[in-house]
Amino acid sequence: MTDALAISERILDISILISIVGISLSLILLVYRIIKGPTNPDRAVALDAIGVNLMGVVALVAIVLISSKLNDVVLLIGILSFLGTLAVAKYLEAGVIIDRDRD
Amino acid sequence: MAFQIVINLIIACMWMFLNESYTFASFVAGYLWGILLLFLLNRFIPDTFYLRRVGKVIKLIFLFIRELVLSNIEIVKLVYKRQPQFEPGIFMLPLDLKSNWEITLLANLITLTPGTLSVAIAHDNSHIFIHAMHIDDIDESIRSIKDTFEKAIMEVTR
Amino acid sequence: MIETGIDITLNISVSLFILIGTFFVLSSSLGIARFPDIYTRLHAATKASTLGISSMLIGTFLFLYAEHDIVSGKLLLAIVFILLTAPVSGHMISRAAHKSGVKPVTANRSDAYEDALQKHRKNS
Repeated sequence: MTDALAISERILDISILISIVGISLSLILLVYRIIKGPTNPDRAVALDAIGVNLMGVVALVAIVLISSKLNDVVLLIGILSFLGTLAVAKYLEAGVIIDRDRD
Repeated sequence: MAFQIVINLIIACMWMFLNESYTFASFVAGYLWGILLLFLLNRFIPDTFYLRRVGKVIKLIFLFIRELVLSNIEIVKLVYKRQPQFEPGIFMLPLDLKSNWEITLLANLITLTPGTLSVAIAHDNSHIFIHAMHIDDIDESIRSIKDTFEKAIMEVTR
Repeated sequence: MIETGIDITLNISVSLFILIGTFFVLSSSLGIARFPDIYTRLHAATKASTLGISSMLIGTFLFLYAEHDIVSGKLLLAIVFILLTAPVSGHMISRAAHKSGVKPVTANRSDAYEDALQKHRKNS
């Protein structure tokens, strides 16, 4: 039974490694889209997706470090990337972020 | 609805005071007793029993999760095809819902269904513009959105 | 005896959740890199990454519960938040793209929004 426990912990370690490699690959693909991206909205989409991927990275780091202190970081990255995406989208739409005279 | 929830909270607090144990567990027990009392005395209280509406909300959430998983599988299939075939296009869906909350909810649900993405809402809230992966079967998707989502949202809000 | 069994199940399920989440996130990025225009890219970005990140966060939640006996509400809040905000940001970006003049790749030019905008401009 303890052998099985050791094996399962080994499986967990290996799967965390695979996940970190996979997320790194996806970040590389997104950076490629940011550099290449024909238009600005493409870059905005890729930046939004990078925010999501960073949440995943922080969750994986929390598992590696066996720490519960990083939960706030996950939530905060989510909120900040959402706000950043909204600001970029408003800028692309109207050219300003805060419009003073609302019709 | 709000009146019934207030009555339920009052019963829960009274249960806490009667038990003289001010913990979360006794609050939950009192809340459950309050639900039972409200269910039994439903005839003497205005409005229908509010848990019926809660049940409909839970049904809507499960619909949301199911559609999310289905659309994910669809997208992943499309990503790993060697030569992905697209016939994208933007079509128009007439709305029956009126208030801002309902339209926001419907736009979110449309974005998470297979093959559709809400692009914009008309100025007078009468139409919603949807980008579809396969423009050929828009009749099918219009019918499914009308039948499932709009009906479920209407059941919750009205 | 029973506790080691529970530990084994938790480890296996945590690794399953994380692997499934990574698969979905990776395929969403692949979709963003491969698809032809901005709207189809948004399809990939809004759908696949939400399920992927929720699955990964559920895995982290289970792991923290197994190791520390912590029921972390913040991770559950993060899942709800992602599910609520991803469609909103997709909607905003697609509307901004359409207003800033990015033409969608369409089959037989079926762009109802462009037609409606032109009609609106003509009337006003």
